[in-house]
Amino acid sequence: MDRIENKHYDVIVIGGGATGAGTARDCAMRGLKTILVERLDFTAGATGRNHGLLHSGARYAVTDQESASECIRENMILRRIASHCVEETSGLFITLPEDDLEYQKLFVEACGRAGIDAAIIDPKEARLLEPTVNPDLIGAVRVPDGAVDPFRLTTANITDARLHGADILTYHEVVGFVRTGDSIEGVHLRHARTGEQMTVYGSLVINAAGIWGYRIAELAGVRINMFPSKGSLIIFGHRVNNMVINRCRKPADADILVPGDTISLIGTTSTRIPFDEVDHMEVTPEEVDILMREGEKLAPILGQVRILRAYSGVRPLVASDDDPSGRSISRGIVCLDHEVRDGLKGFITITGGKLMTYRLMAEWATDLACRKLGVTVGCRTAELPLPGSDQPKDSEGRKRKAHIIELSTEQKAAEGRHGTMSRYIPSQNAQDDALVCECEQVSVGEVNYAIENLYVQNLINLRRRTRIGMGTCQGELCACRAAGLLDKANRCSERTLQDLRGFLNERWKGMYPIAWGETLAEIQFTSWLYNGVCGLDQVKESEGKPVINQ
Amino acid sequence: MRYDTVIIGGGLSGLMSGIALARAGQQVAIISAGQSALHFSSGSFELYGGAEHPLEGIATLPAEHPYQKLGVERVAHYAEQTQELLREAGIQTTGSTARNHYRFTPIGMVKPAWLSLADYTPLESADALPWRRVLVANLEGYLDFFPSFVSAGLARLGVESSVATISLPQLEHLRKSTTEMRATNIARILEGDVLRALAEALNERVGDAEAILMPAVVGLKSDKAMFELREQVSVPICFLPTMPASVPGVRTQLTLSSYFQQLGGAYLIGDNVVRGNFEDGRLVSVRSNNHEDVEFRADNFIIATGSFFSHGLVAETNRIVEPIFGLDVEADEQRTQWYAKDLYARQPYMSYGLRSDDRFRPMIEGRPIENLYAVGSILAGQRAIEEGTGGGVATTTALYVADLILNR
Repeated sequence: MDRIENKHYDVIVIGGGATGAGTARDCAMRGLKTILVERLDFTAGATGRNHGLLHSGARYAVTDQESASECIRENMILRRIASHCVEETSGLFITLPEDDLEYQKLFVEACGRAGIDAAIIDPKEARLLEPTVNPDLIGAVRVPDGAVDPFRLTTANITDARLHGADILTYHEVVGFVRTGDSIEGVHLRHARTGEQMTVYGSLVINAAGIWGYRIAELAGVRINMFPSKGSLIIFGHRVNNMVINRCRKPADADILVPGDTISLIGTTSTRIPFDEVDHMEVTPEEVDILMREGEKLAPILGQVRILRAYSGVRPLVASDDDPSGRSISRGIVCLDHEVRDGLKGFITITGGKLMTYRLMAEWATDLACRKLGVTVGCRTAELPLPGSDQPKDSEGRKRKAHIIELSTEQKAAEGRHGTMSRYIPSQNAQDDALVCECEQVSVGEVNYAIENLYVQNLINLRRRTRIGMGTCQGELCACRAAGLLDKANRCSERTLQDLRGFLNERWKGMYPIAWGETLAEIQFTSWLYNGVCGLDQVKESEGKPVINQ
Repeated sequence: MRYDTVIIGGGLSGLMSGIALARAGQQVAIISAGQSALHFSSGSFELYGGAEHPLEGIATLPAEHPYQKLGVERVAHYAEQTQELLREAGIQTTGSTARNHYRFTPIGMVKPAWLSLADYTPLESADALPWRRVLVANLEGYLDFFPSFVSAGLARLGVESSVATISLPQLEHLRKSTTEMRATNIARILEGDVLRALAEALNERVGDAEAILMPAVVGLKSDKAMFELREQVSVPICFLPTMPASVPGVRTQLTLSSYFQQLGGAYLIGDNVVRGNFEDGRLVSVRSNNHEDVEFRADNFIIATGSFFSHGLVAETNRIVEPIFGLDVEADEQRTQWYAKDLYARQPYMSYGLRSDDRFRPMIEGRPIENLYAVGSILAGQRAIEEGTGGGVATTTALYVADLILNR
């Protein structure tokens, strides 16, 4: 910590989502002395709570050409630089009997203008390509949609930022700014658990905190015209569909079904919420009903598939500066130079946008930072692959590894999660290969790799880095095993048990909105095991200091 | 097929009523889907965990609780009978109905218990342990036991401990397949020479420890290996429960079911009863998945299919049902009332179950079925985990219902 406090950074990036991580990477690659600070964990905000859709841009083609063009460009870039985070599933836009088939024509033309390869196909062919699709469909268009894992993507950006010399601080919340006259010169930070404060100095601060950027800007004394919009989603217990399925109509609630890893998810709803709710969101029964009703229209089988959990994220919607009512919302990227806009030097906000355009957002923010710092190095994040994707998926090296050397199931799973970085996962002996999480095939070696290299301090960090607890059992059996391993690193059993207690409660938060069927059976089993057999309910929540389970 | 009594569900409550009826000379069939809660149990049973003297505590339970329907005297009577029947079946337990003892949990907590299997060391008190220094031993690669949590729990109670990881070459082939290092698989190997090797390794590591605490991974089909290991090791071994599957729990299930069969009972495992045939308020027969063409007819029936996680109760999107017969269920109507948002708060769904009369006869549309009885965790009004009443309710209701059937 002394080391960080004694340094003077070129750039302090606030926010550990995809945008912040991408910005830290871009800054570090251009030779700027960079530090990223995050109040909780990476991907704890909207980055970890969305569809994981690799948008082709087609969804926006009719309503927002600019967003559509940005999406398809970034889509193609991510396939190259982040191949281990991307699944090239392709996608369908289907027209149902209740929809207007005329819209399809408009849609395909608009896709063409945005540079999106959209091909009308016979509904029969669509059913062959994606057997779960609603058989009543009357029209289908094929587009280059895919799936992207936001956890992996962010971790890879963080890893690369660090490889280029950036410092990273998680669980450090910005509680104030160092300000001299009209210039920002650093940030005051507070540790989420210990409450300890520290100050970090830098020439520029980039606010990349998503919806939480509103408060960050307020702390800096400037106002951004921002609105939190809640979006809820439902995860299904297995991978129902292999292609993304969208509705070919104006964007509406619950009209995208995305396959990702072992699961599928349907979303989203869209509701404006007040700022004081952004840290306490709950999925309502009404939202669950809408998601299920609309989801079954895309793939009727969803009505019979086990639901794993429900969750919601917050989009940071930004209205233009001359519209305080917030009616003219764009989903485009907003990069604010507060020196020009508000006369506040050393402060930049990068917001709006979406997961798909995180890299472009980072590029815009870093370009602006470089101009201010007089640095002329260009952006290379669109060309240089992320760690884990340094060899393309179809390259000889990766093929050989996968096919000639016989990989175990969990080694294949780890390769899927970490790409070529999986070579650093210990697999020397049977001990390393023992399975912690059977649903997601996570080994002891992978857990230890994550603990040592990927900023893991608690079980939720571990879940985001390895998918532990994300599978069918929702942590029922693996949470305790993972806690056992984490305890070796933590050396504080009291804290680890509090962490375990909090982790199971966090899993429950995503389960109670859908607490029927197997979900209720599983949670009763979890309570039986952890409270009945183990006595976890006797573990006291720590006094005074909050248990961090975010 | 015709029986005196057909029991649906082969967990603790189904088996106990089956044994009581069969030893009284009845022709009994148990139809069981397979695993039961015993497979995930701690290996200790609870009568009532909320008070040092369980029978005194029971009086404070709400009126709709199965114990209140029984009354304290019957609870005491059938609790005593439980321990006798277990002994008769070949299951040694320690503990008394008059006063709880305590057990150490896999994460180092202390919990009250009524009866504990011989594997465990019953503790006199929740805040004093009988040792000053112990060895916590685990097998290399076994992840369902947590030595560091156990050590921390011991330290809280003033007991020093050291941790030993035992590596047995004979377990190597289990470790090669990453999913195999589970309690029941290990127990299958820990016999004979392998057991002797484990004993030697423990003796080498024990040092000045007064006892060894280790996971309950010994003795799957009988408790023979467990006692053998104890004989071969120089200090007492206190086994601790593990994450599932529970070796002592599976052993209990196997022992009870084989005793039931010795008594002449028919134990039909891997089968599900799917529907019943009712006539004039009586259940005449049931049909199962595996015997689609055969009717199971009986004078009396017992439903012992358990709570949600045994699928005795099923939550549909907007209602809670008993899936075989559609029996009346006590539950809140609105889905949002079923749960509390804090996992550790009182969960309403836990107390849901079958509505029944004072003879534990479940109902359809408010009318009790003349010859159908419900026992164990499917009964409404209990909060088994919170109260610490799971095992006691299972066995006392089972034995009471068996008496009702025999004395009709």
